[in-house]
Amino acid sequence: MASNSARKGSSLRRPAVTPVRVAGAGLLAVAFAMIVSAAVAVIDGGGAAAGLTTAALITASVGCALFFGSKVSPSADSALAFASVAWSWLAVSLAGALPFLLTGVVSWAHFDDAIFESVSGFTCTGSTILTDFDSVPQGLLFYRSMTQWLGGMGLVVLAVAVLPALGIGGLDLIASEAPGPTADRLSLRVRDTARRLWLLYGAVTCIVAMLLFLVGMSVFDAVTHAFTTIATGGYSPRAESIAHFDSVAIELVIIAGMLYAGANFSVHWHALSQGIGAYRRVSEIRWYLSLIAGAFGLLLWVNNGELELFRNLRESLFYAVSLGSNTGFGSSNYVLWMPAAHLTLLILMLVGGMSGSTAGGMKVLRLQVIFRYSFRELMRARHPNAIIPIRLGRTTIEEQIASKVVGFVLLYLGLIVAGGVILSGLGVDPVTAFSGSVSALGNVGPALGEAGPTSNFLVFPRAGRLVLMAMMALGRLELFPAMLMLVASLRGLNRMHRQREDTKSP
Amino acid sequence: MTPKPPKRATVPGYAQRLTGWILSRSALLLRRLSKGRVETATGVTVGAVWVLIAPLFFVCGVIDWLDGGPDVVALLVSGFVIQLVGFSILRFSKFPSILPVARLFTAFVSGAVAALIAATIAHLVTGVAPTIDVALVEASATVTGTNATTVEPETVSLGMMLFRSLGQWLAAAAMIIVLVRILPHLGVGGLDADGGVATRSARRLAPRSSSTMVRLLTLYMGLTLLLAIAYFAAGMPLVDSVIHSLTTISSGGFSSHSGSIGAFDSPAIEWVAIVGMIIAGTSLPLMFRALRRGDLHRFVRSIEFRTYIGLIITAVVAVLAWSDKWPTADNLRETFFWVTSAISTTGYVAGNLSLVSYGSEALLLVLMVIGGMSASVAGGFKVMRFMVLGSYIGRELRRSIHPSVVEKIHLGKSSIGEVALARIIGELFLATMVILAMVLLFTADGLNFEAAFSFAISALSNVGFAFGLGGPNEHLQALGAVGHLSGALLMLIGRVSITPILVSLGGIGEPLQRDIRRWRQTRHEKAVR
Repeated sequence: MASNSARKGSSLRRPAVTPVRVAGAGLLAVAFAMIVSAAVAVIDGGGAAAGLTTAALITASVGCALFFGSKVSPSADSALAFASVAWSWLAVSLAGALPFLLTGVVSWAHFDDAIFESVSGFTCTGSTILTDFDSVPQGLLFYRSMTQWLGGMGLVVLAVAVLPALGIGGLDLIASEAPGPTADRLSLRVRDTARRLWLLYGAVTCIVAMLLFLVGMSVFDAVTHAFTTIATGGYSPRAESIAHFDSVAIELVIIAGMLYAGANFSVHWHALSQGIGAYRRVSEIRWYLSLIAGAFGLLLWVNNGELELFRNLRESLFYAVSLGSNTGFGSSNYVLWMPAAHLTLLILMLVGGMSGSTAGGMKVLRLQVIFRYSFRELMRARHPNAIIPIRLGRTTIEEQIASKVVGFVLLYLGLIVAGGVILSGLGVDPVTAFSGSVSALGNVGPALGEAGPTSNFLVFPRAGRLVLMAMMALGRLELFPAMLMLVASLRGLNRMHRQREDTKSP
Repeated sequence: MTPKPPKRATVPGYAQRLTGWILSRSALLLRRLSKGRVETATGVTVGAVWVLIAPLFFVCGVIDWLDGGPDVVALLVSGFVIQLVGFSILRFSKFPSILPVARLFTAFVSGAVAALIAATIAHLVTGVAPTIDVALVEASATVTGTNATTVEPETVSLGMMLFRSLGQWLAAAAMIIVLVRILPHLGVGGLDADGGVATRSARRLAPRSSSTMVRLLTLYMGLTLLLAIAYFAAGMPLVDSVIHSLTTISSGGFSSHSGSIGAFDSPAIEWVAIVGMIIAGTSLPLMFRALRRGDLHRFVRSIEFRTYIGLIITAVVAVLAWSDKWPTADNLRETFFWVTSAISTTGYVAGNLSLVSYGSEALLLVLMVIGGMSASVAGGFKVMRFMVLGSYIGRELRRSIHPSVVEKIHLGKSSIGEVALARIIGELFLATMVILAMVLLFTADGLNFEAAFSFAISALSNVGFAFGLGGPNEHLQALGAVGHLSGALLMLIGRVSITPILVSLGGIGEPLQRDIRRWRQTRHEKAVR
């Protein structure tokens, strides 16, 4: 991909390839993250500054070549948007692996592990292959958290927001990257929408970082944890995750952060501008909160007698929110809990946060649609000629969107089963395999069985990690763009070819 | 090639006439009896099921008497009581002149529940099951054709053994009648005899449904007989071969030995069982049409059959490839056995299930969910429905690139209507929700995660064996009363599918529902004012 587009860039006339330009923009953003991390490494003095700088230089030069070597094609449609988002994520994930390799934390022989860590970062999954956190330089840990922060709201959205030179519009592009079946328009101009989203995202991150600092974290910990909390990523620079601090105040701040990040950022924006009533108009938020509250109650009940009351309250609430928003922070080892608790956690992982949030999973909105859809079929079985719209709260969902959601959920479940079977075939025990599959596709992080919150993903075989990596990317890009990446690109190439023919012929 | 003229063999002709005679006689009897005052389809169904199931008690009682078993009095008396109650219910009820679909759902479900109750009584009075929850789950396994049991088959008398096997066989036969006669009207997506195009087959099949029914039942009996002979020829004792042929062809799975088929330790018997299970998972109408004309090419032409066989072969190859040893003939047989036992939802056991690799465990669970072909007696979600769902996903993927494309889903030559499609999808989602709820109950009742999940899947697909505990059939023994009840419910849901059960439950609560809706509406209006 890189060499291919570099060749394109060197020609005098810049080819109009949107995916290449978007990928270049994404790479520039990553290079920026690397530079910031290098600065952190210099301040900390723990090494890794050289590696990070080298990685930044390489990424920036490739990014510049791609970005300035191409321009945006005049036409825009969903296929092109799919291709742009998918290719830019591929490029970013590959480039994002460079710091791990160049600082020597992951050896070149295990370059796939570096890519795993990078994919897990950008997709906000938080599954790690690092074992010895003490030997990893602080700069790299910072970089790791920052990848999640960038991936959380979306690199393409960021590019649209801050790079006016990108010159791409169209809600398609944001909709292809943003989680959820549809994208809300916050303003008439797409760039303003993207800007507002990132502004809110950044502001909330700052607030959480300050709060974490106030309740006793060091600056480094506060910033990195704020990054991964608001991105619902779940990377922690500490091996024991949140359990390292063992502080109720920190846990409460993080719970609030995760809960906020698992909800729709557009609704948050509306709430800021119109008051708290904006939340009440959205039925999804009621479902989201009641799902987490229900899971919390269930966990309390199941763990009753296993843990003492205060500990039970604390851990159940933490995990209900951590897995309900698909963040994946750990405050203890839930693998030791009862099987019924595991099922609850698995359902939370499967559903995930709200659409338009930074959380992964199937999204609450889709669950709502699925519920309504199934119950409509029950009604129709009784009254075969009835025409029943699918209502969510007071809004009615169009048939076309409903069937898209249904198709998505079927595909999602199918991929989980396929991933689980493949992983079991590679020799992982079925509980770990299927929960790992749910966790990877939902961008959660920890799974059940052997891959619990205190473990790491080296329990999966090497081929299995490749499968998980692919599933993380599929899950973050909401299946369709990633699955249609090649088809959409071929379509785009065809059209370019046709346009060239057209310009030649007269 | 010109089509061959239909050959009509004499023996099937007789058999067909005999089946037709039995069916028409029993229908006549029921019609003559049900001349009561109360117009209720549910009453007629329940009465009919009890009247028709009572002879099973008598037959098994007599055989138990011939064998010198202990259960003769219990079976005869309970059979007599059930007969009497059935007669009296029938006597007071009458088939209604108009029948809304919702009532038909209720009647269908209550018929299944009536059979369940009768079988529960049999298990209780003979003392096979000590408590009512165990009896209920045993009866549910009998009625739904699941090989999940808490009793050691060796301790059960011959009469009761036969009752359980014949119960599975008859339940599957009743399922054929339901497939042909009732499901097309209900439109439970993709289950009916014509291969699932619910709306079309309802119109096409209904007028000639009684002859279709007779033909399919004759085929079913013929296959049972052939399989019994095959088992006998492969070296099984006579009684065992009858019992096993009954439970193989109905995809039930009860065995007369606690080691199931594995107890015979004979490759020939296992191969016979494999073939029998593959047949049990095959669509009966397809087999009938292919065999009537001797036109075996029909099998090849059926896209669902190709997929079904393809799935079996793929699974076998995958399991063999995942094992680190070079496959031997024994391995091949064992793999074939597990795969067919899972996909046909029979649930026979041979060899040691705890030795299968993790990969094959996952694969077997997936096969259980997939189940046999539509219009077969097998459980599971059915191959055809998954094929439809696959094309649905494909369509949505294409639609996301070409947003305004209009596309119809085709399966072979027939196209699937949007209504049938929505029903299939609704069914799948509801079943998934039920599974999750049941897994929660199982785990709360003390099963570990793997055991709970695999047993829930296995019970919903009417298979029987599951993973995660010491043996393939220990799950019910490990469960308490809550687990037993939910297991019984899950099996029942698997057999009659979730939509009818929920719809008939909704039918019970309909007045309440109406009140709630009215209340909410008035409240809303007040708020608007």
